[in-house]
Amino acid sequence: MERTGIQQSRPTGGQRARFNVLRWSVYAAALLVVIAWAFILLDGNSGFGDLFRERTWQNAGGFIASLAGQGSDGPSPFVQAARWRDTGRLALNTLAMSILAMGIAGAGALVLLMPGARNVSDGTLGGAPSRTGALVYGAVRILYTLTRAIPELVWAMLIVFFLSPGIIPGALALGIHNLGIVGRLTSEVVENLDPAPARALRAAGASSPKVLLYGVFPQALPMFLTFLMYRWEVVIRTTVVVGFLNAGGLGREFRLRMSWFHYEDVALLLVWYLLLVIAVDILSAQLRRRVRWD
Amino acid sequence: MSFRRLQSWLTGPRLLTLGIVCALAWSLSRVDWQQPIAHTGGGAAALKVLLALFPPDLTPEFLSICVVASWHTLAYAVAGMSLAVALGLPLGILASGVLAVSSDGHNPRRWTLMVAVRFLLAAMRSVHELVWALLFVAAVGLSPMAAILAMAIPYAGILGRIYAEQLQVAPPEPIAALRTTGASPLRVLLYGYIPMALPDLLSYTFYRLECGIRAAAIMSFVGIDGIGFQIELSLADLLFRQVWTLLIFLVVLVVAVDWWSSRVRRSMAY
Repeated sequence: MERTGIQQSRPTGGQRARFNVLRWSVYAAALLVVIAWAFILLDGNSGFGDLFRERTWQNAGGFIASLAGQGSDGPSPFVQAARWRDTGRLALNTLAMSILAMGIAGAGALVLLMPGARNVSDGTLGGAPSRTGALVYGAVRILYTLTRAIPELVWAMLIVFFLSPGIIPGALALGIHNLGIVGRLTSEVVENLDPAPARALRAAGASSPKVLLYGVFPQALPMFLTFLMYRWEVVIRTTVVVGFLNAGGLGREFRLRMSWFHYEDVALLLVWYLLLVIAVDILSAQLRRRVRWD
Repeated sequence: MSFRRLQSWLTGPRLLTLGIVCALAWSLSRVDWQQPIAHTGGGAAALKVLLALFPPDLTPEFLSICVVASWHTLAYAVAGMSLAVALGLPLGILASGVLAVSSDGHNPRRWTLMVAVRFLLAAMRSVHELVWALLFVAAVGLSPMAAILAMAIPYAGILGRIYAEQLQVAPPEPIAALRTTGASPLRVLLYGYIPMALPDLLSYTFYRLECGIRAAAIMSFVGIDGIGFQIELSLADLLFRQVWTLLIFLVVLVVAVDWWSSRVRRSMAY
């Protein structure tokens, strides 16, 4: 009896194979960490030694003091209403850029919602599976992978080449990258949703747009909006970075003030940045709670 | 339609949709429509860039630059992630509050610490890694270490928050069983929470590694070698063929890490 008990508790072949993927991945990751750190630290210019030099910390202290306004001449930008107003306008532009970016990503993901889901192309949701459907599915998936793999900032570097500076190029760069992320997640939601309503609609003779509207949207939309809100929290943090590349908003001003050593203005811009981040985090959390589709 | 009926109609999803439409309209109104959207000659430039894809620059000299840049990006990503885990795990444990509860109730001092750590994590992740990098470069100068630290801070903030959530959802029965044996909060953590949450913790860490690659690639914006830095150089010299080669390397690197991390996550799905 005892013997069979032990035999039963042994992992089956499948489980053993699964276990190995994990174990070897952890070993490989650990090895990679060691090699990466060795490579970085053995290079003489890693800057690791500087962490333990007093001068480094003095410089850092001096930088923080100048952020707080020490050693600057003239009145602090924090007490000038005009500076608050100007930077506030930039903050609004940054906010607009983030919303526009989410609009681009969301609109793209909605358009590609159906062709990008496997269960639509292979006919699980009703309708005949077609070669074109499979091809379009593959193309959309490749598009998602490419847009996702290339970071916002690289998209922005490419886009500022053709488009004039302003909110649009930044929003476009953020939108393209997030299309890949939101699109992939939403397609996965569509692939996992209950096919019964869509099939019933299809069987009753509903057209494809109607199946989409009544069979897929009501189920997929809450998760879609949740992803959009989550990504908005990330995007508002990244708008500033995209703005570095002449794409307008707080980022451009931040970069300029940094290069002019106007550290007190940098501090003011950071205040606006943090206010935006906190506001979007709160708004997103509130909206996500309201998304439930009854 | 009476106001009351309008109010009852405008709830939940409809209100949200209306809000989204208004927000989009407002953001479009902030765009300066007076100036042309594209540069003069922007279309021609776009065409030139696109045509440079056939073929990308595949000379051995440039490919070796790409390989070195990819390795730099990977090394910085791995170093930044490992530092982020080293910072994020202890902070996440403190933020989860699992140490603040023991068999004889809450420990108020540890409870205060938990709240403080949660604020710290929120502050760390509210600033983008590149903004941290620019601040570090201004404060202590340009070095790979500054870039790694800049990346590790927001990543530790995110990891800490998710680790805390993952520890909190551990099943309560085994924890309660451990507590009744008189185990200290530390022991409950080591033998209860961590083993139970380990698949989730690992899975999220591997998932973040993919984001880490992208972060390391753009970290070169402050002047650290890597794929982003090389893209910037090639763009500045208008060598679009090289840009394409570098983009291909970046996509392959990200897709490879994504594949690895999804393999690991699937192996732990239970």
